[in-house]
Formats: sequence, structure tokens, C-alpha cells
Amino acid sequence: MDQFDDTEIATLLRLKRHEQPPPGYFEDFLHEFHRRQRDELLKQPLWRICLDRAHDFMLRLNVPALGSYPAAVTAALACAAVISLKVYQTPVPERLSAHAGPALTAPANATSELTLASPVATRVFSMQPLRRLDQRARAHRAATPPRYVLDSVPVSYESTFRF
Amino acid sequence: MFGGASGRLVLVLTGLSVAQPLAAQIQRNPSAVILPQPSAEVRSVANASREVKDVFARAAHAVVKIHGVDEHSDIYGTGFFVDPTGTLYTSYSVGGEAENFTVQFDGKNYPARQIVADDRSGIAMLKIDAATPVLPIGKSQQLEVATPVVSIGFPLDLPETPAFGMIAGFDRKYLGRFFSTTHLRVNLPVQRGEAGAPLLNLNGEVVGILTNSLENNSGCHALPIEAAEKIRGDFVRFGEPRHGWVGANVAEAPDSVEGSRAEVTEVLDTPASDAGIKQGDILLQVGKTKVKEPEDILDASFFITAGDTVPITVARGNEKLTFNVQAELHPKAKHVPLYPDGTRVPMSAGMPNRGIPLNLEAPPPPPKQ
Repeated sequence: MDQFDDTEIATLLRLKRHEQPPPGYFEDFLHEFHRRQRDELLKQPLWRICLDRAHDFMLRLNVPALGSYPAAVTAALACAAVISLKVYQTPVPERLSAHAGPALTAPANATSELTLASPVATRVFSMQPLRRLDQRARAHRAATPPRYVLDSVPVSYESTFRF
Repeated sequence: MFGGASGRLVLVLTGLSVAQPLAAQIQRNPSAVILPQPSAEVRSVANASREVKDVFARAAHAVVKIHGVDEHSDIYGTGFFVDPTGTLYTSYSVGGEAENFTVQFDGKNYPARQIVADDRSGIAMLKIDAATPVLPIGKSQQLEVATPVVSIGFPLDLPETPAFGMIAGFDRKYLGRFFSTTHLRVNLPVQRGEAGAPLLNLNGEVVGILTNSLENNSGCHALPIEAAEKIRGDFVRFGEPRHGWVGANVAEAPDSVEGSRAEVTEVLDTPASDAGIKQGDILLQVGKTKVKEPEDILDASFFITAGDTVPITVARGNEKLTFNVQAELHPKAKHVPLYPDGTRVPMSAGMPNRGIPLNLEAPPPPPKQ
């Protein structure tokens, strides 16, 4: 600071006041900034660049919270293996519905069909024809007591003496 | 006849009251008792019981229990076979609007299909694919008030049951409204489940079909078998019931003409007007039915078949005129035959093919030349 007195500084500031950037400087500023940043980055060795990026990535993923991720993947793979084993072991049903797609319905004695053949206890479903819509009405009728018919009035009358 | 029936009842009760001390006397000293001979009245009651038992034994095998399913619940009623190929009558309330019918016959359940459902007469006809016994058809016109009759039905969930009663009247009207044709009123106890049961005379012939009960189930109405046979005849001829209609309104005339008070009050654009019948004419006869009062046209009208020509005799002034009117389908007919474009099939279209059910499909296009 001793090398410059106030007069020199004032002169320098006056000169800077009249200094103008070259044409297109502000338009290319952002592009030039990125270019220089890449150039600065590429000055490092490749292994260092990869290490830094991996580090940043792990920091963004919140690594402590991902402690159960390998366990979840393992469980999913185990389930897939069990299901695929059951699919291969189930015999092909002899009869399928001719008029509708099959639907999975639990049989009435499903509790007796719990099996420990596979590592996970699995309820065995049987293939049944899809329930038709009028079965709901039939179920409602089944709950209604039967009607023994004998009306107390005729089913029709004549309105007038018109013939 | 009412007096005779009540007399029989008194005699039966008297006989019961005498029988108990008599039994005690027989126990005390059997050799000292001379049994009295039953009176003629007691014998006649015994004979009546034997006749009912005989009718039941002969007819019960042709009476069946019908099961169906309607939108509310399972329903049960009674029916009886009228031809050996499995055709049976029942009431409309049993076989008219339900579906998935089964008939319990000869210890088995047979699927049945509906072939006729006619709410105007109040009956339906079902059919099973089996050889069946048949009940003979009688004549309800021979019935009189107090004629003894028997019905066989399936009350509630009980087996076939006979009931004994008598004709109580011939009704055209019930609860202020008119039947489509005269019905038999029967003093005969009925239960739910017996709709469609046959009403039999003591010869075992069907004279009616039970359609509805009266107050407290103490009696019932039955459609005369002739009315049911008219519907069956239509089915055989056309494949469906064809109630006829000539299109004339009738009311009571102030004065009787030729013994009739049935005056034509309105004739619009109908077969009757086409034939020449006019307002003010007094009806004397429709077909074979003589008309004396407006209610007489109920029976006359019921037995008209659409497409048939009906002779109608009227009094007009001092003249007695007969018109031949070709009846149209009754406006209440549910199954009006229509061409595919929605227009009604003219009755004349069915005339050449009366023995064959009408083919209502469009005629095939003419072959291209």
C-alpha cells in the first residue's frame, strides 16, 4: 500500500471509469464462465473427478437413510422366487370357464389349504368361473323365505263393458 | 242343497256323540249290544267320503308342485297335466312372471318352460319333456250352486292334499271390479301354495283352475275350464293367446228391447263400425251367447278369438239385424304380433296358416334375375 499514494489511486480510478468491455462481453458472459469452469475442472486427474462426483452423489442421497435398501431388495427377490416356485408347482386346472375369464376366489375350505411347502405360508387359490351378475340377486333371493302362491285378488280385471 | 249339507253335518255330529257311550257299553258287555244300522244320511256321507277318496286316488298323480324363481324369491304353486306330452296348467301368479321353473313329478324334478302366460284369464301353461298322466276335462256349465267339488293342491311345503267343498256361486264381479269372464266361487278351504290347483267334479274331471282366495282363505275363485281351454286352443292354432275385440262400448239401456238392456253407446273406428254396428243398437246376441244385460258381454267377449268372424245380432228400431264382424286383437293383448318395422300384423295375415304359429320374420327378398 505504501507504493501507491492517493494520487495514483485516484488516477487509476479515473482511468477505470472510462474503461469499456469489448463488444458482446455481457452476452457471452455466462457461456464464457462455464467454459472457464470446465477448463479449471479438467485440469484435475480423472480419478479425482470421479471420486468427487461419487462423493457429491452420496451426500445428496442421504446415505444413512438407505441402510435398509439392500434388505428390501433381498426381500423382493425372495418373494419373486417363492411366487415363481408356486407357479411352477401348481397343476394346470382341468376346467376353466367357457364363457368368462377366470377369477381368483378363495374356496370355502381355504383354511385347510394353508401349506408350508414353501418358505412362506401361501394360501392356495382355485380357479372358479367368474360370478355372473345375477348371482348377486340369487344370493338375495336365497336369503328371502320362499313364497307359497295364492293371491287374494285376481291378476286382472276388465275396465269397462267394452268388447 | 245347503239344508241337506247342514243336515248331514248335524247327523255326523250326532253320530259322534252317540258313538262314545256305545263304545263303553260294548266294552262292558259285548254280547248284549245290538249295533244300530247307519241311517241313509250317514251312508251318503260315507259315500261322499269314498268318492272324494276315489277322486284323489285317480287324480293326484297328475297334479304337480311347481317351483319357480321371480325377482323377489323362490315361489311354489300347483299345476296339473292336460296332455300326455307334459303340458300343464297353472295360475298366472305361479307361472306367469317367474322363471327357472321346475316341476316335481313322479318323485323327480323336471325343468319346465313357459309356453303361455295370459294375465287376462289368469292362467299360465308350462311344459316338461316327459310322458305324463292327464286329467280329463269336464264341463263347468253343468255345475250348479252346491255341486260338490274337490281340489288337489300343494299347500305350503306339504304334500298333495285334497280339499272338499261346493260351488257357492258364479261371479262376474269381485270387490267392485269385473272379471274377464264368469268365475266359479267355491266354498273350499285353500292355503297358500295351491294357486293353479285343479278343481274337480266327483267324476274326477277338471272343471276349473284355482286362481285366487277369498277372505280368510275360506273359499276361492276358479277360472272355468272352458275359459282355460279357449286359451289352449289359441295356443294350438296361433302359438299364443289371441283375445278378440270388436270395439264397441256397452251400457245399460233405459228400456228393454227384445229382452235385452245392453245398448251400444260408442263405436269408434273399430271392426264393429266397419261392419255397420251403430250407437244406440241393442245387443241381442254375440256369437253363441245371448245378451240380456251389459254384463253378459264379458263372457261373449272373452271367447272371441282375434281374426275370427263373429255374428252379432242387434235390434235397431223395429228391425233385427245380424252383422258379421271380424275381430281384432284385444287392446290389452300383451303379445301383439308386429312386423320387424313395428307395424301390426293384420289379422288376415294369419288366416291361411291358422294351424301354424305365425312366422313374424320378414319375408325373404325375391331372387335376383
